[in-house]
Amino acid sequence: MDLPVQQFRSEIEQELLDSFAALHDALPGAQNDRVAKLRSDAMERYASLGLPHRRIEAWKYTDLRARLGEAYPMVRPSGRPIDQAEIEKGLGPRVANLDSYRVVIAEGEFRSELSDVQALKEAGAELRSLAETLEHLPDDLGPLLAETGEQRSGFEAARPTGRSGAGPDPIIALNMALMTGGAVLRLGDGVSLDKPVHVIHLDGAGEPVSSVTRLIVVTGKGASLDLIESYAGLGGRGLQRNALTQIVAGADSHIEHTKIQREEDEAVHLSNWLLTLHENVRYNGFQYTNGGELARNDVRVLFEGEGTVMNFSAASLLKSRQHADTTMVIEHLVPHCTSRELYKAVLDDESRGVFQAKVIVARDAQKTDGKQMGQALLLSEGAEFDTKPELEIFADDVVCGHGATSGQIDEDLLFYLEARGIPEPQARALLVQAFVGEALEQIDREPLRDALTGVTADWLGVKLD
Amino acid sequence: MLEIKNLHARIEEKEILKGLDLTIPTGEVHAIMGPNGSGKSTLAYVLAGNENYEVTEGSVKWNGEEILDMEPDERAATGVFLAFQYPMEIPGVATMTFLRTAVNAVRKARGMEEYSTPEFMKVVREKANELQINPEMLKRPLNVGFSGGEKKRNEILQMSLLEPSLCVLDETDSGLDIDALRIVAEGVNALRSEKRSMLVITHYQRLLNYIVPDRVHVMADGKVVRSGDADLALELEETGYAEFGGKAA
Repeated sequence: MDLPVQQFRSEIEQELLDSFAALHDALPGAQNDRVAKLRSDAMERYASLGLPHRRIEAWKYTDLRARLGEAYPMVRPSGRPIDQAEIEKGLGPRVANLDSYRVVIAEGEFRSELSDVQALKEAGAELRSLAETLEHLPDDLGPLLAETGEQRSGFEAARPTGRSGAGPDPIIALNMALMTGGAVLRLGDGVSLDKPVHVIHLDGAGEPVSSVTRLIVVTGKGASLDLIESYAGLGGRGLQRNALTQIVAGADSHIEHTKIQREEDEAVHLSNWLLTLHENVRYNGFQYTNGGELARNDVRVLFEGEGTVMNFSAASLLKSRQHADTTMVIEHLVPHCTSRELYKAVLDDESRGVFQAKVIVARDAQKTDGKQMGQALLLSEGAEFDTKPELEIFADDVVCGHGATSGQIDEDLLFYLEARGIPEPQARALLVQAFVGEALEQIDREPLRDALTGVTADWLGVKLD
Repeated sequence: MLEIKNLHARIEEKEILKGLDLTIPTGEVHAIMGPNGSGKSTLAYVLAGNENYEVTEGSVKWNGEEILDMEPDERAATGVFLAFQYPMEIPGVATMTFLRTAVNAVRKARGMEEYSTPEFMKVVREKANELQINPEMLKRPLNVGFSGGEKKRNEILQMSLLEPSLCVLDETDSGLDIDALRIVAEGVNALRSEKRSMLVITHYQRLLNYIVPDRVHVMADGKVVRSGDADLALELEETGYAEFGGKAA
C-alpha cells in the first residue's frame, strides 16, 4: 500500500530541481526527443524520491540528505589544457603512469584531444563522446539510459519503493537527468585490447562544482577488456560527483574492471556501477577508495546468462572523518553462475566504513554459488564499521554464504615482527598492507596491482623497497 | 655474556618468574629444562621483550648492556633472537618480503648497509638450501600452510639471516619428527660459534642429543633450582621432574 507522503524538500533537493529547470535545454541531447524525455522522466523520478536518507534501508548508514549541505553549481567546461603533470598530481604518479589507452573526462566533458581515440580505433575499439552520442542516440543505448536501478528480478515490485532498498534510485535518476558528458566504448566481437583502457576523471579546479558523468561500455561476444576508471580532483575547493558506469558484457567476454577513487578531502563521490553480464562471462571488478569526505559506491550486478563468474573486491582506506559506503545488489536470474564479493576496509581516526551486499537468487537460478565477506581493520577507537549482508534466495539448490569480521591489529603478530627487528610503526604498516593485500591479490594485472600496493604503502607512510 | 639477576616477571596478576639467576658466558650453549608451568617460555618471552609480561624486579644484561628497557626491535638489533615455539602465520605477507624487511631493518639499526634485492635473494637462497628449504616456500605467505617442520626450519633460517649473538630457542623440538629435528639441529649447530651464546629451552632431553649443551639448568616454579653438565639432562630423562614439583607426564 502506498501511503500518500507529504513531500518535504530540503534546500539542496530543491536546488537540484532548479538546476535541471535552468539547464535542461542546454544539456547534450536536448534536441533529441528520446533523450529529452528520458531526462525529464528521470527528473520526475528524482522529484518524487528526493535524496536518500537513513530511513531507506540501503542508505541506513549513509544519510545523504542530512550530509549534503548545498548543491554546488554544475561544472562549466573550460576546455583549458590539462597536462601530464596535472594528471600526476591528481592521481599520483603510480596510477597516472600506468601503461594504457587513455580516455580523459575533465570538467564533466569528454576531451578527445587528451584521449587515444585513434589508437583505440586501430586496436578494434570504438570510443565516442557521450554528449555526441546523445545527439543521435543509437537504439541499443535507449534501454541502458532508461535503467533506474530498480531491482530487476521483480520479487519486490509489489512492495513500496524505497523500503526494500532496491527501488528506483534517486542518484541514478539525477545522473540521467543532469549528465553533461562522458564516454561510450564499444568492443566488437572477439576484440581483445593489448593494454588497459584508463578512463581518467578530473574535476574541480577552483570554486566548488558538481560533476555528473557517465561511462558506457559494451563488449561483443568473446571480447576482452581491461578497464580502469580513476577519479581525482584538480585542487579545487569542493566537488560533488555523480559518476555512473554501465557495462554490458557480451557472451564469453572477459572483463577486468577497476575503479580508483583518490579525490580531495572535501569531495563527495557518488558512484553507480550497473553491470549486465551475459553467458559465460568472466568479470573481475575492484574498487579502491582512498579519498573524499564521503564516498558511496553502489554496485548492481545482473546475471543474465548462464555459466558466468563475477568476482568483486574492494579496499577502502580511510582516516580523519572520511565515510565510505559500498552497497551492492547482485541478482542471479539464471542458473549456474558464481558471484564472489570481498570487501576490506582499513579505518583510522574517526572514519567509517560501510559494506552492504544483497544477493538475490531467483527461483530459476539453480546451482548459484554466491559468497560474500566483509572485513574491517580498525586502527583507532573512534573508527566504525557497519556491515549488513542480505540473502534473498528463491531457488532450492544453491550454495550461498556470507561472513564479516572486524578487529584490530593482532598484538601477537606485531610482537613477532618486532622481535625480528622490525620497528613498531613499520610492523604495523606491514600488517595493514597484509590485510589490504588479500583484496589486492584479486587484481589479475600485475602493473595495476603493484601500483595500488604502492598507493597503499604511500598512504601508510612506508617505503617499498 | 648473558647475566640474568633476580628476575621477577608476571602476567596480569600472576607472578611466574620469581627471582631467576642465570649466566651464560659468550660462546656457550646452555639448556633450560623443567616441568610444564615452570616459567621456561615466560623467560624466553621476557628476554625478547613481549609486553604481555611485566618485569617487576631484576636485571638482564647482554654484553654488559641492560636490555629490559629496550623495545623488541632494539633487542633484535642488539643481537637477541627468539626462535618461537609457535611461529606466527601472517597471511598477505610473503615470506621473502618479511625476511628482507627484517634483515634490512636489523642491518640498518646496526649501521650496516641494507641489502639490495638481488644481493638478498642470493644470501637467502644459499641459507635456505643449507636448511633444505624449498625456495618456492619463500614466495608463500609467512608460515601459512607450512608444516610444523617447515615453520621451525623457517625460524632457523631467520636466525641464520639475522646473525644474532644471543639465540633463545623455545621448545624448538616440539611438533617435529626425527628427520625434521635432525635438520633443525644441524642448522642450529652450524650457527654455534665462540662469539655466539645460545639458550635452548626444552621439556625433553631428545633435542640435547643433537644440540649438546655446555651446561644444563633445571627450572622450577620460576627459578633455576639445579645446574649441571650435559649429563644432567640424561639423569632427568630417567627420573623425570617429580622432585622439582612437576607432575608425571
